[in-house]
Amino acid sequence: MTTTADRSAAIASPASRVRDRAAATPDLVALREKNRGIWREFTWTEYWDRVETFSHALIAAGIQPGDRVAIHSDNRPEWVFTDLGSIAVRAVCMGLYPTNPVAEVEYLLNDSGSRLLVVEDAEQADKVLSIPVSDLQHLEKIIYIEHRGVDAYDDPRLMSWDAFMESGAAHQEAHPQAVAERMASTEPSDLAYLVYTSGTTGPPKGSMITIENLEFATAEIAGDHGIVQPGPGLDDLIVSYLPLCHIYEKLFSVVFGTGAGVPIHFGESLDTLVADMRDVQPTIVQGVPRIWERIHAAIQVRLASASRLKRLNAVVWLKAARHIGRTLVRRHGRHTITTRFLARVGDVFLYRSLRERVGLRRIRYAVSAAAPIAPEILQFFMSIGVPIYEAYGMTENCGVATVNRPGRIRLGTVGEPYMGCEIRLDEETGEILTRHPAVFAGYWNMPDSTASTIDEDGWLHTGDVGEWVDGTHVRIVDRIKDIIITSGGKNVSPSEIENTLKTSPFIKEAIVIGDRRKYLSALIGIDFEVVSEWAQRRRIPHTTYRDLSEKPEVRALVQKAVDSTNEKFARVEQIKQFRLLAKELDHEDGELTATQKVKRSIIEERFADDIESMYR
Amino acid sequence: MRARLLHEFLQHAEGQEPILEIADLHLSFAGIKAIDGVSLTVRNGELFAIIGPNGAGKTSIFNCISGVYRPQEGSIRFLGRDLLGMKPHRIADLGVARTFQNIELFPQLTVLDNLMLGRHQHVRYGTFAAAVRFGRASREEARNREVVEGIIEFLDIQQHRKSYVLMLPYGIQKRIELGRALAMEPKLLLLDEPAAGMNVEETEDMARFITDIKRELGIGVILVDHEMRMVMDLADTVLAIDFGKPIAVGKPQEIQANQDVIRAYLGQEHSVADTGGTT
Repeated sequence: MTTTADRSAAIASPASRVRDRAAATPDLVALREKNRGIWREFTWTEYWDRVETFSHALIAAGIQPGDRVAIHSDNRPEWVFTDLGSIAVRAVCMGLYPTNPVAEVEYLLNDSGSRLLVVEDAEQADKVLSIPVSDLQHLEKIIYIEHRGVDAYDDPRLMSWDAFMESGAAHQEAHPQAVAERMASTEPSDLAYLVYTSGTTGPPKGSMITIENLEFATAEIAGDHGIVQPGPGLDDLIVSYLPLCHIYEKLFSVVFGTGAGVPIHFGESLDTLVADMRDVQPTIVQGVPRIWERIHAAIQVRLASASRLKRLNAVVWLKAARHIGRTLVRRHGRHTITTRFLARVGDVFLYRSLRERVGLRRIRYAVSAAAPIAPEILQFFMSIGVPIYEAYGMTENCGVATVNRPGRIRLGTVGEPYMGCEIRLDEETGEILTRHPAVFAGYWNMPDSTASTIDEDGWLHTGDVGEWVDGTHVRIVDRIKDIIITSGGKNVSPSEIENTLKTSPFIKEAIVIGDRRKYLSALIGIDFEVVSEWAQRRRIPHTTYRDLSEKPEVRALVQKAVDSTNEKFARVEQIKQFRLLAKELDHEDGELTATQKVKRSIIEERFADDIESMYR
Repeated sequence: MRARLLHEFLQHAEGQEPILEIADLHLSFAGIKAIDGVSLTVRNGELFAIIGPNGAGKTSIFNCISGVYRPQEGSIRFLGRDLLGMKPHRIADLGVARTFQNIELFPQLTVLDNLMLGRHQHVRYGTFAAAVRFGRASREEARNREVVEGIIEFLDIQQHRKSYVLMLPYGIQKRIELGRALAMEPKLLLLDEPAAGMNVEETEDMARFITDIKRELGIGVILVDHEMRMVMDLADTVLAIDFGKPIAVGKPQEIQANQDVIRAYLGQEHSVADTGGTT
């Protein structure tokens, strides 16, 4: 058939890979979704069928190459259908964070000029419908997935997902080749995504990710020379749970899924993540530091409340684990004969059951990225048999830059550059520069920002200061703009201190202050759940977050964590004063970005009184 | 896969036929009048609220409908059948489900088991079939589980599916009680203070569940609650009673404007504060 020749000539994309897998392995499982208590499967045939029908519906709705299609939903199969269906018709998919409040929804829809928006349910529909129609010039259609509540609305832009897919099926009937023709004209320079960076300063910027970027990422990380040998494959299992509008989750749910054929699992909700992980026992787990910190805290809390015999067992084997962890770190992730033996026996007594509880029993490898993590956390996971590798990348280079690899781990670094990635440090500032085919095409409608980010020679200026370790590994010092210069003239990296503070299970947030001041101080937010349980066991009555934070016992508890952090740092880097935050930081209140990163400028403004009180 | 709407897996009602007719109900305990001449009609798809001060006899009406109390006078007809003298479990079988002011769940069982128990009158297989778990028993068990999972999804309590009820916060237990009543596939739902003791967010959630039940199932719902704002927002018809006597019946706006009601109930606290307590 001629189509086969056409296909091989055409440019590959994540969408074409789904189509090709549907042809090659039609009955293998591509996706699983837990729904009403049961894991339901989509084969590659069904996956492609949904994607193709959605694509037809987009064409029927008049979506042209280059048009933007937005989606506002938690992770679920419809998310990837929208994502890949848009790519198939050469449209650009733009994802919103489920937590984006109305004002941000309005900004993102207008800035991207999205013509069509997919919303998950009444909650997200209410956000967009509360914006006056005249303020959304570009938006023509709103597709809703969940019927409950939205069915009763009468906005003419609304259409249900089911009805939209029916319109796609009808279009397919009338023009069976329409999607194939559109796909065949795909160019490497086509925009696949607008990924809005959360922006700790200023409004979010839309990073333009091209098909070429994704293809390079697919070759680098989903291939055999990615992180581990063998590379990701059909026998692996991934749970999709980080926000799909972020490049990090896309690498796993889309690139690993379509590129390596790994079945992707969608749990029931974010609230059920632990149970879903326990069901699936994934072999590859992508996590951000906050997730690893929380799992670490959960294990500590559980051990503390176990029965005496179990606690005794845990004390013995955690001691052994510390030995294993130290050895692994020293040997860059390789066991000695002794530690391998210890790990085997420890598996029987403790480690395997610990891993099982949090869904890591079958773990082949885990990744921590998107923000810096404390080495102690990585060491802990390595010590109980979770091979975890810190990696580094950013939206602007499609998440592909450096990674630690088995047997070549340097703790405290983000690893070595991927094979096809050029990396160098700016001679003057020490800023990390990357150059490779996954470097993005620039910021949407922001030529000035683009020009100041990618230079004439094609180097991406990451905004991170780094240094080489052993000439092979990169260590991130901090964001250029976050580096603190004390009034004594010392350069201090706050994030390192903050992450060490956050290794305490009781501490959820830490913001180190001290730019142009005579010493360092910190604003600290407690982890309400963990501290509340700790307080209950000590019969300290409390009500709200604020009330708990104000207890002298809690302050003493945090003081201990601060003291042990201070022991690890030089004098100028020690925290002399701290205040406990009276409220939990929140995205909707503008204190955190959608990816839960602290917006320093806002915090310093809102808690100015607290900060000043530490320097009086 | 989208969440199923309630009518996609539960029996639902069409039209606006009257399903419950109470005429001239009288109930007294040792000479004290608890209900004194209450009459009301509830139709399919109607949210009927009963309001009144504490001890006005609201819960007593529920107890008469569900067969716990036997009124001395009057009639209660449900779908054309006389309920008076019928045993509570027979009335439940006919399709009257209720929730309680004080939660009545099995605290040592899981959420799932509590909800599955709500399905017991839809179990048609015998002991033998249950013992071998074959044929009809396994088919029905699967069907019942389907219904229960739909309810879990509706109430958004997936993460509590396997938790023991006694471990759960009060607001979630209230939801589970509603779920257990729904699992019975009622034709008439009696809700006794579903928002009592809840915070603002939990109350809003509960109001949303009640609205969705009404819209998606089209069954009759009788609601008793102190949360005035919720009652006035949700109800189609409100009956105000005081010391067991009906004072007024009508649309929420009418009741809010009714002087007798204001005096007997809404204004009670104001008058205590304003005039020094002459009610």
